[in-house]
Amino acid sequence: MTKRLQDIARRIGRPFYGNRRLIKYYWERTRRNKLAVFGLAFIAFLILLALIGPLLTLDPMSVNFEEKNLPPVGFTTEKSVYHIETDDFTTTEVFGTWRHPLGTEGKGRDMLAMIVSGARISLLVGLIATGIAIILGTIIGVLSAYLGGWADNVLMRFTDIMMTFPFFLLLVLIVFIFGPSLAFIVLVIGLTGWTGTARLIRSEALSLRTREFVTAAKALGASDGRIIFRHLIPNAISLIIVIATLSIPGVILAEAALSFIGLGDPTMASWGIILEAGQHSLDTSWWVAVEPGIMLFLTVLAFNFLGDGLRDAFDPKSNI
Amino acid sequence: MNNTILKVNNLKTYFFTRRGIVKAVNGVDFELKRGECLCLVGESGCGKTVTALSILGLIDSPPGRIINGEVRYGNLDLVKCSPKQLRQIRGKEIAMIFQEAQSALNPVFTIGDQIIEQLKLHLPLEHREARDRAMILLEEMGIPTVERVMSYYPHQLSGGMKQRALIAMSLSCDPQIIIADEPTTAVDVTIKAQILDIFRELKAKRQMSLIFITHDLGAVAEIGDRAVVIYGGRDIETAPVSEIIGSPKHPYTVGLIECLPDISKTTDRLVSIPGIIPSPIELPQGCPFHPRCPKAMEICSQQEPPQTTISEGHKVNCHLYQ
Amino acid sequence: MKQILNHDLLEIRNLEKYYPVTAGLLSQHIGDIKAVDGVSFNIKEGEVLGLVGESGCGKSTLGKTILRLEEPTSGEILYKGIDITKLDKRGLRELRREIQIIFQDPDASLDPRMTVGDSICEPLVIHNIADAKERMEKVAELMEQVGLEAGQASHYPHEFSGGQKQRIGIARALAVSPKLIIADEPVSALDVSVQAQVLNLMMDIQEEFGLAYLFIAHDLSVIKHMAHRMAVMYLGKIVELANKDEIFENPLHPYTEALLSAVSSLRAKGKKRILLHGDVPSPLNPPPGCHFHPRCHRVLPMCHQKEPQLVEISPEHFVACHLYNTTTS
Repeated sequence: MTKRLQDIARRIGRPFYGNRRLIKYYWERTRRNKLAVFGLAFIAFLILLALIGPLLTLDPMSVNFEEKNLPPVGFTTEKSVYHIETDDFTTTEVFGTWRHPLGTEGKGRDMLAMIVSGARISLLVGLIATGIAIILGTIIGVLSAYLGGWADNVLMRFTDIMMTFPFFLLLVLIVFIFGPSLAFIVLVIGLTGWTGTARLIRSEALSLRTREFVTAAKALGASDGRIIFRHLIPNAISLIIVIATLSIPGVILAEAALSFIGLGDPTMASWGIILEAGQHSLDTSWWVAVEPGIMLFLTVLAFNFLGDGLRDAFDPKSNI
Repeated sequence: MNNTILKVNNLKTYFFTRRGIVKAVNGVDFELKRGECLCLVGESGCGKTVTALSILGLIDSPPGRIINGEVRYGNLDLVKCSPKQLRQIRGKEIAMIFQEAQSALNPVFTIGDQIIEQLKLHLPLEHREARDRAMILLEEMGIPTVERVMSYYPHQLSGGMKQRALIAMSLSCDPQIIIADEPTTAVDVTIKAQILDIFRELKAKRQMSLIFITHDLGAVAEIGDRAVVIYGGRDIETAPVSEIIGSPKHPYTVGLIECLPDISKTTDRLVSIPGIIPSPIELPQGCPFHPRCPKAMEICSQQEPPQTTISEGHKVNCHLYQ
Repeated sequence: MKQILNHDLLEIRNLEKYYPVTAGLLSQHIGDIKAVDGVSFNIKEGEVLGLVGESGCGKSTLGKTILRLEEPTSGEILYKGIDITKLDKRGLRELRREIQIIFQDPDASLDPRMTVGDSICEPLVIHNIADAKERMEKVAELMEQVGLEAGQASHYPHEFSGGQKQRIGIARALAVSPKLIIADEPVSALDVSVQAQVLNLMMDIQEEFGLAYLFIAHDLSVIKHMAHRMAVMYLGKIVELANKDEIFENPLHPYTEALLSAVSSLRAKGKKRILLHGDVPSPLNPPPGCHFHPRCHRVLPMCHQKEPQLVEISPEHFVACHLYNTTTS
C-alpha cells in the first residue's frame, strides 16, 4: 500500500521536478518578466532572512529600557525629559547607532531583530495557512468536478456556506475562549480560506475532464483514480501554483490585520504585532510602524509580481 | 496589362517576435485579372492568409510589418496608403471573406444588423433602403425565409448559412475584388458544393474578380481559372488551372497533386512528400522546398531559384527549368 | 490491402444512442437527440469498414459508443460473440486491449504534460504488460514502427508537428496489440502532404498486423482509398452499405448519389452535379418518414410517412430507400 502511495506521490509532482526540460521551458518564460524576477529575488531574500536572520541578530524579545526609542541609523530625534525640580523639559538629541541599525521601540527591543523574526513568522503563516487552504480546496474542487451529479451539488453548496462564514467572528470567539495563539490563527485562516481555490480548481477540472486526452485515457482503460492523479491534477498544477502564490500575500496581510486590531499572538513578534505597537507613537517613533509597513508592502508586492509572472508563463496562449 | 485589376510585386511580410523573425510572406508575386478567379494554393503555414491580410493592410503592426513590395490597385499602391485610404477601400472596393465563419460574425448582433452596418458604412443609404438591399442579397445567396433570417443571431444559423451570410456581407457594397480565405474548408461536402456553386454564379453574373485561397485542389479544379502555388512564403508556380493539374512543373506541385487520394484514381499506395512543412521562423536557405525535393540539386540549397517562363502564362521558380 | 479472414469480429445490432433534452423549470424531458438511431452492421477480422457522413450524422458518436466511451441507450454490440454492452468494469478493461481508438485532433488527444514516451507507454502500464525495462523497449519499437525517432520519447507533444502527433496517437493505440481500431477522422485535421504519409502508415500497419478498422471520415476520396466496404450515414441511420467498389460504381441511395457527385475530382471537371437543397436538419427534430425526404431529388409520396428499412437489394448491397424496397411499396 505504501509503495503505491509513494508511486502516486512521485507521479503527481512529475510535471515539474525531475522533468528538467519542462522546468527549463517555464523558467525561460518567467525570466523575461522583470517584475516577476524581482519578486522572486525578494522572496528568496526573505527566506534567507527567515532562515539565518535570527542567528545573526539580537534577541527580539530582550527588553532594554535604557535604549528605548532609538531611531534608525542616520536619523536623529529629540528626546524630552521632564524634570520635576525645574518644572521644565530638557531636550536632548538622540542618534541612531549601528548597534540597533533599524532603531528600537518603546521597550528597547531591537527593531532589526523584530523585523527578521517577523519575516520568519509571516512566511510561516503564509506558507502553512496557504498550504492547508490549497490542499483542502484542491481536494474538494477535483472531487466535486469528477464525481459530478449530487456530490458536486452538495460540495458546492457546502463551499457556498463556508464562503459566507464569518471567520473573523470565529477568531474572536477562539481568542476569547483560548486566548490568542498563532497556531489558531493559522488554522482558522487555512480552514476558512479554501473556498476560492475550490471553485477555481473545480472549474479547471471540469474543463479538463472534457478534453480529448482524458477521453483517450479512458479509451486506454485508465481507472478514475489514474485519470485524476495522472492527468487532471498535473494539468491543474500550474493553476494551483499560481493560486498559491497569489494567496500567500492575502494570508500574510490577514494575519497582520488581526494582530493590528489586537487579536494576534503577542508572544510572537510578527509584523502585525509590531505595527500595532507602533501605531500610537507615529509622531515620535515613526519607524516602529513604518518599518514593518514597508516590509509588508514589499512582500505583498513581490508575491503578486511573481504570481502574475507565473500565470503568464504557464499560459500557453500568451506569447512570451 | 489593362486587364489586370490587382498586382502584387515581391511582397514580404515579416513578424518580429522574441523567438525570431517569422518570414510569413517572403517574396510573393502575382496578378489578378478582371473577372477571373485566381486561386492561392498552399498548405497551412505557407503564408497565403498573411498575403491576403497584407493586401488589405490588416497585419497587426507590432509585431508584423510589410517590409517590402507593392500592391498595385488602380493608381494606388496599397502598401503605401494611409489607414484612412485603406478603410475606404476595404469592404467597398476589395472585400474579404474570412476563414472561420464562426468567428468572423459578431455573436451579439443579428445578421441583418451586420449587413446593414456594412452598407451604411460605405454607401449613403437610409436605414430602410439598406435593409431592403440586405434582404435582396440574402435571397441571392439562396437563403430561404429571408425576413426571419435577418433577425437571427449567428449561433442560430448552420455552418453553411453562416458562410452564405458572410458572402452576402462581402458583396453588399459591390466590390471589385473579393478575397475568400478557405471558404470551403470547415464545411461538409454537400454544403461545399453549394458554396462553390454560389461563387461560380458570382463570377458569371457579376463578373467578379476573385482571389480564392485554399488548400483544396479539388475546389481549385472546379472554380479556378488560374492558380498560384505558394510554399514557404513564396510563389513557386503560376499557371492556368488546367496546366497546374495536367502538367505541373515544380516538384512540390507535382507531389501535391500525386499525394491526393483522388476519387477517379485507383492506386494502392499514395505517393507522399517526405518530411514536414518548414516553419516560417527557420526557412531553409535557397529554395524553401529543397530539403524535401526528390530532384534537389546542389544549387537549390544555395540560391533562391529565379522565375522562369515555361509557356504563355505558366511560370515556375525552380532551378530545374533554368 | 490484405485479404480478410471470414470471422465476424464486431457485430452491431440496432444500436441506439439518444441524448435526452430537458427544458423548463423542473427539467422536463421534452425529446431526444437521436444521435445513433438503430444502426446495424458488422466488421470482419482484418477488414476496413469506411463510415461516411457529414457533420451531425452521428458517426463520431457511433465510434465512441462502440468503445463504451458513451453508454448505448439500447441495442447490442457483439465483439467476438460477446455482448459488450453488458460487460462489467473488469471486462471493460479487458476490452480496451482489443479495441482501440485514434482521434481526429492530434493536438487535443495527447496529454500536454506527459512526455510522448509516457503517453505511448500508458496503456502498457494500465494493463500491467511487461516490466519497466521491457516497456521502454516496446515504446522505442513502436515509435520506430510509426516512423519517429525513438530518442524523441522524452519530448513533449508541443514539440512535434500535427502529422507526428497523429503518429504518436497511432503508436499509443498499437501498444496493446488491438484487433480493431476505430479511426475517428484520423487525417481530417492534417495537411494534404502529411495526410498521405499517415494514410500510408495506417495501411501498412493494417496489413502487417491484420487489423480491422472502422474508418470514419467525411472525405470520400480517403475512404475510397482505405476501405474494403463502405457505409453511408445520415442523421443517425445507415442509408447504404456495400463493397466500396460497388457503391462508387453503382450508388443506389439518393443521398449517396449526391455525396458522390459533390466530391471534387481533379480529372473529372464539369461533371453533372446533384445539388441538395437546404442544410442537414437538426437531430432533435428529424423530418417524419424518411429523414432525407425534404432534400431528396427522387422523393416519392410514401417517403413523407414511412421510414425505409435497411434491406439487402443485391448481394452484399444494403439500402434503406423506398425506391428499391418493393416489399413495402
